[in-house]
Amino acid sequence: MPGSGAVWRRFPARTGFAHRAPSRYDWEETTGGACLAQASTLVLYRCAAERGAPLFAQQLINGLVTGSTYALIALGYTMVYGVLQLINFAHGEIYMVGAFTGLLLVTVAKLPFPLALLLAMGGTAVLGVTIEFIAYRPLRRSSRLSVLISAIGMSIFVQNVALWIWGPSTRSFLPPFPVTTFTIAGLRTNTLDLLTLLVAVLMMVGLHLLVTRTKLGKAMRAVAQDRETAALMGINVNRTIAFTFAIGSSLAAAAGVMVGMLFNAVTPSMGVMPGLKGFVAAVLGGIGHIPGAMVGGLVLGMAEVLGVALLSSQWRDAVAFAILILVLLYRPSGLLGRRTQEKV
Amino acid sequence: MIDWLDGVLRGFINPYYYGILVTIGINIILALSLNLVTGFTGQLHLGHAAFMAIGAYTAGLLSTKAGFGFAGAVIVAGLVAAVAGVIVGLPTLRLRGDYLAIATLGFGEIVRITLLNLDITGGPFGLRGIPRQTNLPIVILAVLFSFLVLRSLVNSRMGRALIAIREDEVAAQTMGIDTTRLKVTSFTVAAFFAGIAGALFAYWFRYLNPSSFGFMVSIELLAMVVFGGLGNLLGSVLGAGVMTYLPEFLRTVAPAIAERRLVFYGALLVIVMILRPNGLLGTSSEQGWLEIWLARRRSQGAAGRVGSGPGAGSEAPPATGGAGHGPA
Amino acid sequence: MSSSRVGRLLFGSCRLFGAGLLAVLAAVLVLGGGLALAQQTVVIGMLGPLSGDYATYGTSVANGVELAINEANASGNYSYRFVLQKEDTRGDQVQALNAMNKLIELDRVTAIVGAVLSGETLTAGPIAQDAGVPMITPSATAPAVSEIGDYEFRNVITDDVQAAQMAEYAINSLGLRRFAILHANNDYGVALRRAFEAGVQANGGQVVAVESYLDGDSNFSAQLTNIARQNPEALYIGGYYTEAAKIAQQAALQGLNVRLMGADGFDSPELISLGGAAVEGALFTSGFYNATEDPLAAEFVRKYEAAYGMKPDMFAANAYDSARIILEAIQAVGPNRAAVRDWIANVQDFPGVTGVTTFADNGDAVKPLYILRVENGQFTQER
Repeated sequence: MPGSGAVWRRFPARTGFAHRAPSRYDWEETTGGACLAQASTLVLYRCAAERGAPLFAQQLINGLVTGSTYALIALGYTMVYGVLQLINFAHGEIYMVGAFTGLLLVTVAKLPFPLALLLAMGGTAVLGVTIEFIAYRPLRRSSRLSVLISAIGMSIFVQNVALWIWGPSTRSFLPPFPVTTFTIAGLRTNTLDLLTLLVAVLMMVGLHLLVTRTKLGKAMRAVAQDRETAALMGINVNRTIAFTFAIGSSLAAAAGVMVGMLFNAVTPSMGVMPGLKGFVAAVLGGIGHIPGAMVGGLVLGMAEVLGVALLSSQWRDAVAFAILILVLLYRPSGLLGRRTQEKV
Repeated sequence: MIDWLDGVLRGFINPYYYGILVTIGINIILALSLNLVTGFTGQLHLGHAAFMAIGAYTAGLLSTKAGFGFAGAVIVAGLVAAVAGVIVGLPTLRLRGDYLAIATLGFGEIVRITLLNLDITGGPFGLRGIPRQTNLPIVILAVLFSFLVLRSLVNSRMGRALIAIREDEVAAQTMGIDTTRLKVTSFTVAAFFAGIAGALFAYWFRYLNPSSFGFMVSIELLAMVVFGGLGNLLGSVLGAGVMTYLPEFLRTVAPAIAERRLVFYGALLVIVMILRPNGLLGTSSEQGWLEIWLARRRSQGAAGRVGSGPGAGSEAPPATGGAGHGPA
Repeated sequence: MSSSRVGRLLFGSCRLFGAGLLAVLAAVLVLGGGLALAQQTVVIGMLGPLSGDYATYGTSVANGVELAINEANASGNYSYRFVLQKEDTRGDQVQALNAMNKLIELDRVTAIVGAVLSGETLTAGPIAQDAGVPMITPSATAPAVSEIGDYEFRNVITDDVQAAQMAEYAINSLGLRRFAILHANNDYGVALRRAFEAGVQANGGQVVAVESYLDGDSNFSAQLTNIARQNPEALYIGGYYTEAAKIAQQAALQGLNVRLMGADGFDSPELISLGGAAVEGALFTSGFYNATEDPLAAEFVRKYEAAYGMKPDMFAANAYDSARIILEAIQAVGPNRAAVRDWIANVQDFPGVTGVTTFADNGDAVKPLYILRVENGQFTQER
């Protein structure tokens, strides 16, 4: 029975394990954040001392941008997980399809960028709902293992169909607007970096408002909490879940288009590693927790960048995964997530 | 004796098919051991290729750098992988479901990157110069050994406890089963056999490269286990056999499809899960759509005598069949 | 109807369908020329990644070999009918070994172009060596490939030679002193890094930063910031064009004003289409120059573009030459594996689209190396 993980539950099953009863989305009360802040301050201090402050600050900016690309992906992951307790492994592939759709609409169909972005988001929303209908809905009563394997299967399927259609080579995705580089206090950044960060923050806030302030959000939380009771209360569970997938997938498309432009590269395999990293970010922040996805993404981005700055670029991904495992072991519900216990 | 047998086998098996049989055998051992963890104990493990890698590199290093013989290197490789299994399993197996999956995935990536960055393993250049000492009779013996050991294990008291963990971990704990210890034990046994398979791999391919042990290898092993049946050892033999031979079969019959086989692997995982959530020969209390649909037809047939008899095909049930929102 | 079009149809589609087309084609040839039936069929193998992450490289090699074979069959100058048997390795060891066994044991190939990646060459190569099947790899650059044996040839300039020449040129001709290296953490990138470091030191320069990335990465900001800190004059990228283009762009955005350098991994029109203005001025070593005035190469570029809709890269060019060497060998000595091997080993200055080729005793090609420069969105010859 899918009982654990959802941080959206309004009325948490208080257990002996919960060290406190934190209110939802409460940043201050989570001790993990403070610990991490201390640890990273120490590391950063060393970094600053060794390599000089400008370098260190520049690396922080790199970490922020890298982190926001992970956060963009993590948001969709975390939302689907929050409602369904399902790791939507195909999320990275939806992100890739979104990037391709956006690219083709801009370059081949010559549509203006905002329209292309909206259409790409709409297209992946349809794709996400279709995937849910085919691969996840029939398994709603099955074990989580079965659903997870089905999700992995879907991910492999979508990626290889894309490879079939679009071929393996990387395509260029130049931003359809001018990018200017500028320097603030000796630090270089550019409009594209800032736009990525901005989109990530906007998406996080929008999603947060959607979940907490709207009727649909209420329905989502109800479904997350208890599907059967939600149905009894007159909530159309299937439609709510379909909406969840539609929104999650359109976020993935926005992420794909943004990251595709940021790195000027769109390829069928682009969803694999970022998909995994996005998931790692979601878990780091506390899966099911929307601001957590943002925090997790930024922490992961910073950790990777600092891994390169302090240790060696060879070990970057190993560092990222080691942090994931450590966080899982010491704070299984993530930096901002609340601990829950599985019920019988 | 083994050499004589090998000579006989090579006498009438084309080297191409001989090679495929050896790979099938190695994959059977890997699938059997993964099935113990995922099929019987119900722990989704996405880093099995890492144990295979540890076994393969241990055997490769022992053979090229320490002058070990074949048998010694294979056994030590299994033991080293088992130790790795304990080290990884002890902390991570406390994690549940999805978190365990992602932690094992992370472990797999860490092992691959480590092999890529170490000097002693040859880094990205790989490890060369391992003699070819794996042959078909040895692989068959190893498969039989793994199968018999794992079968007696899953049929024992411990095996029943593992299945209890799969069906309901909390309930199993309540019944007095030391779930963490048993999960780590099953993980360790699986790692041991994966290490043996890795060593056989090393002595067959003669050259090891970190890219042979990536995430997709773990996924393919999982696909074998799932296809054959979670919690059925014969299923793993079937799954590994079919899924190893299928791409080679397609290579000769329809190469255009063979190049796209991952499309079909992906679709296969989804379809098998929908129709039989525990794989073709899976064992679990859980019913798939196929069973539900057949049962429904049967009961309708009994009531209104409109059924078209048993075994009425395996097409997918009507989409409305799953629209109900089941109990969470 | 161009013959290469037909070939592409034949080999691109399902085998059964292809066989049907082949029959029709054979009938046309018999009616038209009356010669086709008399020809003995010889099978040439191709081994490489046609699917998966490395499919770009494998596909280029397959195209190059296919073009050479179709041309030979259409020319009427050969006494054999050549059939191409392509086998996919997915860049994977297990598949590579099985595919090699199949080519040798079931398809009975006379010779093989492949494998494409170093890893699969090191796995599959010894099988061909043991079976006595000559094999020319158009792209595997790992040093250990030379040690496989006397049936293994390599028609590509090794990483060591390329990196050493670039280091020598950068220091002695361009007067650069401070270098940074950013390389892929794979056999290709690490071999280039080692050789370039050694070359720089041998010529009195200095390597001030070494960073790496994993295959498929697209974010290099942290590495580039580390590099920028050391104020290098040039950045040597040990990797393929996809990453090189991204690195160039991100370096430009970071304000890293350096001369970019690389090896034959840069040699694809994709470098320019992906990298745009950021790769302008980049230098790289390669055995192939696709805008060359050499008539042979220009003709190849034209035919390749007509058949596949894009300009050939270094992989396609090396594969085309390798296939042509094999075809010439078979024409000269007949479809006998050992005789073909001896012919290849003794070939002197074989004229190809990548210059003249002679194989050294260890099986590695000795051929001219160009240094190319990106100028106005075109490759031009620097040296």
